[in-house]
Formats: sequence, C-alpha cells, structure tokens
Amino acid sequence: MRKTFIVISAFLAGFVAVFAEAPQAIIARAAVAKSEKTQGEILTELMGNADESILPLLDAWRKDRLFLYEAPAKPTSVVLLDGAKDAQGAQQATDIITGKPLAVRLVADDLNAATHSANLRRIMKAVLDLTDLSSANPAKKLGAIAAIGQGQQIEKLPALEKRLAVETDPRAIKALREALALVRLRSPDAAVKLAALKELEALESLASTDFVKTVIKDAAAAKDERLLSAARSALQAVERHRTVVDFGGTLFRSLSLGSILIIVALGLAITFGLMGVINMAHGEMIAIGAYTTYVVQNLFANGLALSPFGFSIGLPGLHATGWWRESYFLFALPLSFLVAAAAGILLERGVIRFLYRRPLESLLATWGVSLLLQQLLRLTFGANNVQVGSPAYLSGNWIVGDVLLGWNRVFVIGFATLIVVGVWLVLTRTSVGLLIRSVTQNRSMAACMGVRTERVNMLTFALGSGLAGLAGAFLSQIGNVGPSLGQSYVVDSFMVVVVGGVGDLVGTVISGLGIGSFDQFTQQYSPTVAGALANVPFVGGALQNLAQDSAVFGKILVLCVIILFLQWRPSGLFAARSRSLD
Amino acid sequence: MSPTRITSLLSVGALALASLVSPARAEETVKVGVLHSLSGTMAISETSLRDVLLFTFDEINAKGGVLGKKIEPVVVDGASNWPLFAEKAKQLLEQDKVAVTFGCWTSVSRKSVLPVYEKNNGLLFYPVQYEGEEESKNVAYTAEAVNQQATPAVDYLLAQGVKKFYLLGSDYVYPQTTNLVLLEYLLSKGVPIENIGGGFRKDASGKIISAGKYTPFGHTDYQQIVAEIKQFSAGGGAAVVSTLNGDTNVPFFKEYAASGLTAESCPVVSFSISEDEFRGLPADKLVGQLGCWTYFQSIKSPANKKFVADFQAWLGKSTVPGIVKDGRVTCSPMVLSYDGVYLWKACVEKAGSFDVDKVREAWKSGVSFDGPGGKVTTQPNMHLTKNVFIGETKADGQFKILKSFDNVYGEPWLKGKFTK
Repeated sequence: MRKTFIVISAFLAGFVAVFAEAPQAIIARAAVAKSEKTQGEILTELMGNADESILPLLDAWRKDRLFLYEAPAKPTSVVLLDGAKDAQGAQQATDIITGKPLAVRLVADDLNAATHSANLRRIMKAVLDLTDLSSANPAKKLGAIAAIGQGQQIEKLPALEKRLAVETDPRAIKALREALALVRLRSPDAAVKLAALKELEALESLASTDFVKTVIKDAAAAKDERLLSAARSALQAVERHRTVVDFGGTLFRSLSLGSILIIVALGLAITFGLMGVINMAHGEMIAIGAYTTYVVQNLFANGLALSPFGFSIGLPGLHATGWWRESYFLFALPLSFLVAAAAGILLERGVIRFLYRRPLESLLATWGVSLLLQQLLRLTFGANNVQVGSPAYLSGNWIVGDVLLGWNRVFVIGFATLIVVGVWLVLTRTSVGLLIRSVTQNRSMAACMGVRTERVNMLTFALGSGLAGLAGAFLSQIGNVGPSLGQSYVVDSFMVVVVGGVGDLVGTVISGLGIGSFDQFTQQYSPTVAGALANVPFVGGALQNLAQDSAVFGKILVLCVIILFLQWRPSGLFAARSRSLD
Repeated sequence: MSPTRITSLLSVGALALASLVSPARAEETVKVGVLHSLSGTMAISETSLRDVLLFTFDEINAKGGVLGKKIEPVVVDGASNWPLFAEKAKQLLEQDKVAVTFGCWTSVSRKSVLPVYEKNNGLLFYPVQYEGEEESKNVAYTAEAVNQQATPAVDYLLAQGVKKFYLLGSDYVYPQTTNLVLLEYLLSKGVPIENIGGGFRKDASGKIISAGKYTPFGHTDYQQIVAEIKQFSAGGGAAVVSTLNGDTNVPFFKEYAASGLTAESCPVVSFSISEDEFRGLPADKLVGQLGCWTYFQSIKSPANKKFVADFQAWLGKSTVPGIVKDGRVTCSPMVLSYDGVYLWKACVEKAGSFDVDKVREAWKSGVSFDGPGGKVTTQPNMHLTKNVFIGETKADGQFKILKSFDNVYGEPWLKGKFTK
C-alpha cells in the first residue's frame, strides 16, 4: 500500500512537472534549442504565464551573460556566472533550472553565450511587455503599451483593459486607448471595429496610419461601405493632425536651427560686425570651445593622455560618477568661454592689432592662423574625431501634442536667448559696453577722449572669441568634434552676419532665425511642392527631382535667396551708420 | 692627415656603404604599388589600409616572398584628390613599373584611375565595398559587391519581420546606385512601394532614377530627417537602411537617440560603419544598430585571432613614420586588402609569373585563400566569393555576429536583375 502511494505520488509529481513547466525550465529549453525559429516558439510559451522572476534571466540572456555549459557526457545545461573571478578568471556557475551552484567553477570566455537575434529579443520583449505594463518607469510602460498595440493580438486585450481601469497617468491612458483601438481593429465584430475607428479618429493617432490604411484596403476589397467611410474619415482626421504636427515641428526645428546659427554667428557679429576684422579663424575659436568641452568631460571621467609634438602629457581624471559626472557640461560652458577668449587675446595681441587698418591683410593672416590652429588641434588630439557624450539631461525629449521637443534643442533655444540678452546687456548697460561702442564707432575720437582703445580692442576681441567658444561647447552636443569642425560653421557665420547687417546684433538675431526657418521650411515642404515645380518650363523635371532632396535643396535655395537679398540691400537688414566702416 | 689614412678611411666608408646596399642587391625584389590617401579627408580611413598592406608584405617577405622575390612596396599618396590618384597611378605603372597595385577607397578614385590601368594593362586590387555595375579586366575586386552586403542585410531585416524600409545616404555614386538596386530588390520581395521611405526621383518618362533621402558630405542638421523617420516608424515594423558616410553619422545618430528612437523600435543598418570608423563615432549611441560586412574583428576563429594578434604585434614594432599605434582595430576593408595580397601571391605562384595577363588567367581559374574572415575564392568576373556576416554594435565599438551567409558569389551586375 505504502509502495503504491509512493509510485502514485512520484507519477503525480512527474505529471505536474510536465504540464506546469517552470518558466526557468522553459527558458533553459529555449536557450539550448538549435534553430532560432524553435527558440522563438519556445519563448512564446512564456507569454502570459511568466512572473517577475524571469526578468533577470531574460536580461542576462540579452546581455550575453547566459552561458551554455557542456559537461562531459551530460546534456548541455544553462548557467549563470556570478561572484568574484579567481586567478584563472573562473566564476561560480549556477544552473538556472535548479537554482543551485554547480560543482565546477567556469570561465566566461571559454563558454558560448546563448545566442539571440533581434527577432528573439522582440519575443522576449513581448513576454516582458505584459509584466512591463505595470512598470513604474513611465517610458518603459509607454513602450510596452505601444508594442502591444502594434502587435494587434486580440488575446492581449484583457491585459490592456485591466490596466486602463487602474491607470492614472494621462499619457499612459491615451496610449492605452490608442493600443486598445489598434488591437480592436482586428476584432471579428464589425461594431467593435467601427468603434475602434471612431476612437482613433478622436485620438488623432499618428501611429495608426498604416493600420487604418490596411483596414481601408480590406474594406474596399470586401465592399463594406460603412467600414470604408469610417476608416476614411479616421484617416482624414489623422492626416489633418499630421499637418498641424508637421507645422509645429518645423517651427520648433526652425527656432532651434536659428538659435544655433545665432550662437555661432554672435561672436563673429562682434569681431567682424563691430570691430571690422574679417576673422577667418572664427571657426577655430568654435573648435577650441568644443575641444575644451572634450577635455573637461575627460577630466571628470578617467583623465586624458595627450602627446602633442612628441611630449606626453597625462591629465588625471576625477573619476566622478553619476550625476556629478554628468554635470561636466555645466563646467565646460564657462571654461570653453574662457579658453577661447584667452586664445582670442593671443590672436589679437599677436596678429590682428597690427592689421586694424588693413582688412585684406587681416583676412589672409587670420586664414593662415586658422590653418595653423587646425593643425595644432590635429597634432594634439589626433586627426580622428573625438567623442563628447551627451549628459542625460540633454539627451531626452518631451512630446507635446505629438511634436517632438528634444531637450538638447530646447536647451539651445534657451541658451541662445540667454547669451543674446547677456551680450546686449553688456553692450548697452555696462561701462565696458559703452567703451566698446565708442571705439567701434570712432576710434580716433574715443582715443582723444582718453579711452585706451588698444585695451578695449583686446577685450572686444576676447568677448567675440569667447562667444565662439561657447558655441563650440554647445555644438559638441549635436555634432562632430574634429579638427575641421570650425570650417563647417565659419561660412554659415559670415552668411548670418552679412545678411543681418554688419555692425548690428539685432540684425544677427533676425537673420539667424530667418535663415534657420527658411532652411527648415524648405526642407519640410519642398517634397510637397515638388509636383508643382514640374510645371516650370525647361527645368521643371530637374527642379522637381532636386526638391525631393530636401536637405540639399534647402541649402541651395537659402544661398540663392541670400544672393538676391544682398542685391537688393547690399549692407544687410540693418545697415550700420558708423564711420569706422566707411 | 696622411694620404694613406684618407684612403683607408675612404675604403672603410665604401665598405660600410656596400654593406648597406648589398642586401637589396643580393636579393631580387618585385615592386608593388600602394595607392591610398595618406592626407586629406579620406586619410583617416585609408591610412589603416596602407598599414595593413605593409604588415602583409612584411609577413610574406619573412616567409620568403613571392616566387622567391621579396616584395618592395612603392607607397604613394593620393591625398584625397581624385585627379591626383590618376597621376599617381600613372607614375606607379609607367615609372616604377609595379607588378600590381593595392589601392583606392572611394568609388570616384577608382573610376578616375580605371582608364590608366586599362591603358597600361595594369592590375589594381580594390578592397572597399562598392556599388557594382562595373567589371574591368584590370581590376581585381576583393570588395563587397552589393549582393554581399546590402541585399543580405535586407534579407536579414525581412526575416526579422521588418515591413518598412527608409533609405538614407550620402549624396554620391555608391549610395545612389546601391539604393536603386535595393529598391528593385525590395519590390521583388513584395515590399509595396509606399513602404519604402525617403522619396523618389523620376525622369521624364516617369521611371524612378533615384530612391531614398540624400544629404551632402559634412551635413550637420538631421532634425527634419529624423522627425520624418519618427513618423515613418510610428506604426512599428520599420528599419533604416543607411549609406551615410563618415562623420555625418555622428549628428545623425545623436539626433536619432535624442528623438527616442532605438535599435528595438527602428533599427538602423549601416553599410559604411566598420570597427575602424567607430574610433571616431559615439559607439554608445549606436548600441544594437546593425552592420553587414564580410569580416568582423569579433570572429572567433584561430585564423582571425592570429591575424589580429600579429597585426597588433607588427604595429608595436613598426617604424613607419607617424603610424598610429594605440586603439587600433581590424575591419573588413583591411582584411580584404590582406586577403587581396595573398590571393595575388597565390595567383602569381599558380601562373609562375608576375605578368598581368597570366596572373589574371590564374585569378579567373579560381584560387582560394583561407583568410581571417573565412575562405575567399576568386571568380571569373574578377570578384570574390566570400562569407557575409550580420553584426550588432556593442558599446565597445565591436560587433556581435548575429547571422552569417556562407560563400556568397560576388555579382556586380544587379540593376534590373530583380523582378517580381
């Protein structure tokens, strides 16, 4: 009797083991499966019956830390390695099914990690999505909701509905409604489909475009008039919304590009605009600012080893971590101003002060200086671009009514406003500003009144160069930092200053914003008007194709418009009435 | 000083001189040209190829050279200046009379030296992925043809369930031609034309002559394009196929990351970013994005481990002026240069001669070499059969290999080949 009982209970235990396989065991089975397809199928079994406990396992798998261990004459087991490495680099291995450590210690480099493709990761993600729906991290939650919506799997509807009932975050509620409507588009019930389309129309959901188009195609094939008209009206609402979003987005991008142009040109507006020095080395002042940011970043991290001219210089790092390390950019901003200003003083004292009355020579001399500085940067930091990371507070975004506002872009707009106002205050509200203005208007008269014009020149040039340095610090956040960084911006800077009117800051601001907006609006709308351009006689076809390449077309059009504008107003928007420029 | 002293001094000097010169005289050498940009914008990429070529020559010379002759490299600088490439090629062929040249990176440099090689019946080994639509008897294309990089990558994406493709590239011949081929390929695979993003340009008869979005070299403002991609990918199942070149990738990927797009929501497969390019790119912004080449440094084969270790050891000892020794990596164009030298050696040895016509015949007959990326075999159409790998970027600037296609036949003529 007792024996029978044992047999039965053993049988029962086996029964349970077969029919309620632990998620860990499913993962182990998937990890050793031969083909990617089988792996995917096994992982799909986890959907819906997995709890939080599998998170670390899938995470380890994705990060190549789930290893396959082939013990001699045994089936492959799946292990996690953890704990400290010993002299041979071996770590303690834990079998993921039993959760118990193995007798042997293993070396990670000797083992194969369980493979995974993007497709498998997508399945893992789908598994995690259902647990992610209640995640505390809003981005994770929104991502999970969107993924379920796009997946359009009817069987996930209850999970979404359950979540919607308890959700409080308005963004998540909107995303849930959108996801629910998208999934319901697959419903066999016509009434549910119609309601889903109505919902999408009300939500003006951009993500639904392709799905609604599919509905239209199917409805047209099935000659379902009611569904067709509902889908069409939903699509129209989405497209109307898209027009608004595109316009808002373009406006924001115009502002941000305009702000960048203002930042890079503001320094030149002072050295070229106010002082009349054609400063071809302006771009290199920008590059100096950018490299200063690079150096500061490395000082906050692990230090920097430089070897200019064969000397090796090692700068120790602070090894800062976390928020403290990310704050390097806030220190880099003033430092890049100071370093570039110092370089400006050297340039002014060494070269430019001998050439104030000879603009052509100053052009050639500063061009020479620009080549020298480029080579100097190349020798110091290498010919390759260097990498400047974006701190977390500059690499996220806000989405306002579907318009994407990147934090770095919002920052540049605020930053441009700040320095324009700052420079304006310095020039109009301080005694230094008064001196600068007097010297730039009439140098000899200012000298007669006892102004030390030499010194004011130096200060003005330092201010202009420092502003270029600030521009460089910012540009390191959106583009390349390399020895030829300055070259790509010096032409834009001159363009902005010349269009704005030499000698006027307001002109620089307006022309920067104007050129930025013109460029962005052409980029956005040139493909739309391309069709109309085809009707232009002779060159219609070429124009139409050119307009498709919106980035190139924008640039060409900006230059053409500037040429025409300068024919009309040779001295720019705001002509300066200053004797020094006569 | 007595006259005898002077004579003895002179004779000592002469002896010393003779001893300096004699090794070069005693052994016969074969001149081999190296034609890469060592200055200008392309120098960053091309200098690596010069380095790996010099390394390969040293390796072969240490084992006795080719047909008993030591390789004597003639290194010239194309200076990223395309007409200068043609002049330097002429110099290599007509003055230095090199047996073979290894060189060129950009398609435009290859196109500009092509007439020189055809006129002088020279032989150029070209190692960098290119757009195809060319087959000269004077060029040995060790490079990836479009079907050894672009179409396998698209196959991979299709298998991953990607339904929409956004084509983006720098504005020159390689991206333009590649994207046209890809357009035909995607359409033949049943991807509807409205699922291909980036725009189209048509000729007067309405035929598509260019597909995708193009930006000039040195473009910095990717806001609008990224916003477009964001909308394009809003419904999921989208990927970007990028032929953006060089450092324009930095502003693009920074903008891409800032807009919240990720490798999971919309992967980017780039054809111009290899391990070597990562030295100047923010690899952390590209984690999870895809690459497709015929070699990755992360290949775990003994041949590759030996190649990487030998190259690093050679770099450490190298006395080439100005050579960069720190942080060096190996990448596909470098390995294809390396394979090229060995294939040339094998062809010369098979032909028993350095004569270009005979070497070509040997190439056409099919010669194999087991390189760091696996076996490569020459084809009658002057291209190579080789393995193709899809890899995923890791934070350290290396690739993790996701999939490999073995022995892919190099096919340069693809336009009009794919029809539904």
